[in-house]
Amino acid sequence: MNKEYMIELKDITKEFKVLNRREGLKGSFQDLFSRDYKIVRAVDHISLSVKPGEIVGFLGPNGAGKSTTIKMMTGVLEPTSGELLVNGRIPYKNRTQNSQEIGVVFGQRSQLWWALPLIESFKLLKDIYQIPQDEYDGMMELYGKLVNFDEILHKPVRQMSLGQRTLSDILATFLHNPKVVFLDEPTIGLDVAMKSKIRELILELNKQKHTTVILTTHDMGDVDALCERIVIIDKGKMLYDNDIAHLRKFFGAYRTLKIRPRENIGVMVEELAKELETMDVRISHDNEWVFLLVNEEKTSVLKVLGRIQEKHKIKDMQLEEISTEDVIKKIYKEGI
Amino acid sequence: MNRLKKYFALTRAGIIECVNYRMALVVMVFGNLLYLTLIYFVWKAIFASSGSDVVNGMTFESTMIYLVLATALFNFMEMYIVWEMGRDIQSGKIALNLLKPMKYKDYLFWSVSGSFVVNFVFTFIPTFLIVMLVTKGTIAIGINLIYFIIAVVLAVIINYEIDFIIGTVCLYTESIWGINVMKQAVVALLSGATIPLAFFPDKLRAVIAYLPFRAIYDTPLTILLSHNPDTGMVAEKMLVSFAWAVVMSLISNLFWRISIKQVTVNGG
Ligand SMILES: Nc1ncnc2c1ncn2[C@@H]1O[C@H](COP(=O)(O)OP(=O)(O)OP(=O)(O)O)[C@@H](O)[C@H]1O
Ligand SMILES: [Mg+2]
Repeated sequence: MNKEYMIELKDITKEFKVLNRREGLKGSFQDLFSRDYKIVRAVDHISLSVKPGEIVGFLGPNGAGKSTTIKMMTGVLEPTSGELLVNGRIPYKNRTQNSQEIGVVFGQRSQLWWALPLIESFKLLKDIYQIPQDEYDGMMELYGKLVNFDEILHKPVRQMSLGQRTLSDILATFLHNPKVVFLDEPTIGLDVAMKSKIRELILELNKQKHTTVILTTHDMGDVDALCERIVIIDKGKMLYDNDIAHLRKFFGAYRTLKIRPRENIGVMVEELAKELETMDVRISHDNEWVFLLVNEEKTSVLKVLGRIQEKHKIKDMQLEEISTEDVIKKIYKEGI
Repeated sequence: MNRLKKYFALTRAGIIECVNYRMALVVMVFGNLLYLTLIYFVWKAIFASSGSDVVNGMTFESTMIYLVLATALFNFMEMYIVWEMGRDIQSGKIALNLLKPMKYKDYLFWSVSGSFVVNFVFTFIPTFLIVMLVTKGTIAIGINLIYFIIAVVLAVIINYEIDFIIGTVCLYTESIWGINVMKQAVVALLSGATIPLAFFPDKLRAVIAYLPFRAIYDTPLTILLSHNPDTGMVAEKMLVSFAWAVVMSLISNLFWRISIKQVTVNGG
């Protein structure tokens, strides 16, 4: 395998053997003696190479196999088949050694010590990762510049809000200056301000420390803010692996037409669905706006607008490029 | 030295964590008193019904001293490792703990080592001092204390290895409740933690002699409570304990290595 890559996956497959469970109390007892297994293929022949310093976003609907792939890359799970190298090592074979050079955040799970103030957790990590004093001081200084963490530094982790804890967890993960950091849904459940704070932090640490970052998310804001490259998987299979600009170009013919109607929005959407049936337009809405995703290779936006105005009055309208969100939604639904 | 530092850092954190939960300490001390009162009356009844002062070579006083100290020992020996592992595995948190830069077994041991220290200082030492004062001179103060400390270290290791083996079973079963209850009952009985081994029928005692459990309570306490212990007897007991520590540690390492391939890591 190639030295210039930080992570290399070749034909990686992971299968889980799960018991076909029966229902009810009686079923549970029958299960005790059951040998009725089925094989779930969570990851299906995925190949991928990541260069040092890249930020790669892993996208895919629920159950796609993202977390499973991450668990294999960290060395917690052994692949069923395929070759896998991280930082030149086979992760599950050198787990202890490997963990010295990687960092992991798993969604809502915290690696911090519940009863200890954050600073004590940091000191503990310093000792167990054997971080030299000067590097530790340097990192703390950098953290001090990037986020304002004085107010949480002396707070026991169990008293922190979810956002504060996630922030702390990410800081803890980068503390030993790992070469690769895996972030499995790092912004889940956070408010807008904390999300953007965490994105900035990740981006800045990636830049300053040249850390390779693999992250999974369902939030396209994360993708727009962080990832130049995205990998989309679904049902364990790789659907897409390229930069994000390329993906938007791919869907370049799509425009989102936003309309603010005068009438009741729910009623209007229902009527539009019928009126525009032949035009291959995808309709969605929020409280204020109706969004129409138009493929201009098939229908022009003006035609759609004309058709709408035959029956409806419009208060306001806007035309936008297709958003990452819409691109991803389309891919999940229809494939590439 | 530097290598040990990462382990002692976990001990230190464990101590801070433990002391943070002050109420738990108080509850433990009271729970202990309650348990001790109970066994006091139970054994008083046993001795009364036997009609003699000495039963199976033990007086009521020596039985009580043994049991009080066994309870104090139990309090810091029982670290609920099996529960801890079961919870780790069921919740999927094991993923994070497997990724610490040390072996999972070491990480877990050193993580709970802080409570060993706290419980030793806060329950064993006070209990020991009280027993010593109350019974005036029944416990010899001498070389037996040193032997005792060594025996306790070996006991802690053997106890931990047994727990770790049982905890590893959780990788297969996901649920551990029944197995753990069974393990606790077996260890409590066959180690001499609840009833001094002298009270067991000869046949059972012959079997127990070939099992590792007695090294956890019976051996350290016998050594502690003996006056002018015979060096040969102590050496033999220590050697047996040491051998068990090595054997159990080999078994638990092997079993873990085979089983960890099994891990599927829940959640995500
Ligand atoms: N421990 C396990 N045992 C059995 N099947 C599992 C296990 N872990 C995951 N799976 C299955 O593997 C598939 C992929 O799961 P995975 O957690 O990797 O999805 P994901 O892409 O992370 O989804 P999400 O976005 O919902 O987090 C799912 O069908 C899941 O049910
Ligand atoms: Mg997931």
